[in-house]
Amino acid sequence: MKHLKAINSKASRLEAEAESQKHDVFALQSGRDATKQPHIPVGCSLAFFPGWEVDSAGGTAGLCQPAERDLYDCYADCFWPAQVPDHLNRYPDWSKKCAAATQDWRNLDVVFP
Amino acid sequence: MHKRLLRLTSLLLAISSCALCQEASAQNAPPQDVTKETEGGIPVTDRLTIAKCGGCHQADSHGNLTRISWIRTTPEGWQEAIKRMVQLNGLQLGPNDARQIVRYLSEEHGLAPEESQPVRWFLEMTQPQTEAIPTPAIRRACASCHAFAKPQSWRRSAAEWNLLKNMHIGYFPLSQFVAFSAHGEHAADPNAPKPKEPVEEALAYLSKTYGLYSSSWSNWRAQMTDPDLSGRWLITATLPGKGKYFGAMTVARVSPGEFTTQATLTSIQDGSKVELPGKSFLYTGYEWRGSAKAEPYGNVRQVMTLSADQAGLQGRWFWGAYQEFGFEVTAQRENRDITILGTDATALRAGAKNVQVTLYGSRLPADLKADEIRLGANVTVTKLFSVNPTMAKLAVDVNEKVIPGKRSISVRGHTVPDAFSVYDKIEYIRITADTALAHTGGAVGKKGYVQYEAHAFSNGLDNLPNTADDVDLGPVTVKWSVEEFISHNNDNDKEFVGFIDSNGLFTPAGDGPNPQRRLQADNIGDIWVVAKYAGKDTATPDPLETKSYLVVGVPDFLRFDQPEVGSK
Repeated sequence: MKHLKAINSKASRLEAEAESQKHDVFALQSGRDATKQPHIPVGCSLAFFPGWEVDSAGGTAGLCQPAERDLYDCYADCFWPAQVPDHLNRYPDWSKKCAAATQDWRNLDVVFP
Repeated sequence: MHKRLLRLTSLLLAISSCALCQEASAQNAPPQDVTKETEGGIPVTDRLTIAKCGGCHQADSHGNLTRISWIRTTPEGWQEAIKRMVQLNGLQLGPNDARQIVRYLSEEHGLAPEESQPVRWFLEMTQPQTEAIPTPAIRRACASCHAFAKPQSWRRSAAEWNLLKNMHIGYFPLSQFVAFSAHGEHAADPNAPKPKEPVEEALAYLSKTYGLYSSSWSNWRAQMTDPDLSGRWLITATLPGKGKYFGAMTVARVSPGEFTTQATLTSIQDGSKVELPGKSFLYTGYEWRGSAKAEPYGNVRQVMTLSADQAGLQGRWFWGAYQEFGFEVTAQRENRDITILGTDATALRAGAKNVQVTLYGSRLPADLKADEIRLGANVTVTKLFSVNPTMAKLAVDVNEKVIPGKRSISVRGHTVPDAFSVYDKIEYIRITADTALAHTGGAVGKKGYVQYEAHAFSNGLDNLPNTADDVDLGPVTVKWSVEEFISHNNDNDKEFVGFIDSNGLFTPAGDGPNPQRRLQADNIGDIWVVAKYAGKDTATPDPLETKSYLVVGVPDFLRFDQPEVGSK
């Protein structure tokens, strides 16, 4: 297909996408089984609703944009107990000064249980 | 007659109701309570621990305290548990008492060196590339939220492992659905036996593999000592992004298991010195936890293990909001004899002539001769310029026909293995991390950086890349850049997530929503980090290039961390 040239932006995007498949994360890890799951960096939560650091595809595309949009729910339900303070027991007041996370996010704290 | 009839009737009634009773109880027999303790515990004998913990943790006639006597873990594990008692269960405990209790529990309810070996990375707070987890179900049950190393750092009776599951559900109800149960797929056949829940598989594995008793612990507990580590220790260290350091540490005992320390490390790259005055504690007879104030890094935490012969220490000295920076440290007791620590050379090329190399060590003899310094086959010391007790300056020739690989240095029988490498051509380069995680920060959380290094590799004797016999030739200077990773169209992650400098340090962007970005998204994303090596010693005429996958994520708003175990 080398005689075909992309002439609009959508076609260019398709070309770039196809090109990127050649260098996907598994190709880097020579000798590993490419049918395995995406190599998510160790340290990321594997709870994908849609995810904290990464989504189930191993990237950030599927995450809430911005994360603050849904932050209260992450906290109140405690989906990510190792990354987000838990509402139920230890930190019932964590979001007290943060009525609208997308605006008030600076009033949040990092906690050390 | 009336009375006898009454008695007979009541007897008959009693018998029949008893029979009914038995049948009823057989039908309604309670299920076996898996949280009921059936194993013998490890009694708690320390008076302070009994005084502070015995109020809630009741003692039995053997001196076991409920829960505590059926658990073993690391100093960090005990510290974490005690904090939970204070935060959630009303315990009032001062830091001095807490320290004493953690010391006692780490000693009598600790992990043997072999037991803590698989979780060294977790205790040293590094990020490995993969974590070995037995099955996908166990990964789901135990590693959905935190590392598998967390439960792996504990030893419990079977009942205690079951209680741990209950505790998770009690504190974090959603763990039942996020981690403990299966995804929700249902077998096509409703009559098929229900598959085991991931948490049940995990509990069976943990009870069997990480039970309360082990020969490792019995052996270690018996031979555990409280060694006096006073004296001078010689240090070899590497700091990613900066390279090798050599130095020494003086340790002085203050009281059993407590020491003051003074370490000095010298960079071979630029000769700069790092002074680390500090203090340390030794738990469980081998777990070193220390802290030092070191310019320009600030508070540097130390996690090391003492070797079985009590003459070696190995571990990490680290700092950073995500503990992402740190020296890999190896220390050995200085003795009366010659010690060779290593060299400033990382990799020497075949055919190189008159390479200036410095040898580091201790008690190097004044009458040292050039031909006494053995660097392996086809590597010759041609001249010894100078020698003092800690350094010797040499010139080295490397033969054309040298076999690529690591070399040891030997002086009068004193040897250090893997001191440097020799190579013919650099066949490929690899970034030290295949994947990494950075965190945006600056307003709420601090930034989580990634310090990259690129290492050069030789294919080894089989002449094939990416095989087990490849030789790591050490770090090389490369050109760093970032590239878009296409996981989503037009997200332009690389414009927003941060930047990498010429030394391979990735600095993430600020936290919070970014109004400049579509949907006011955070400055998170996934990108390629690219290293390009254009040296003249490569196997191919084109520059060598390699990539690593980087996720830049939101801050961690919560950190389980126990720096108290290493500080006063």
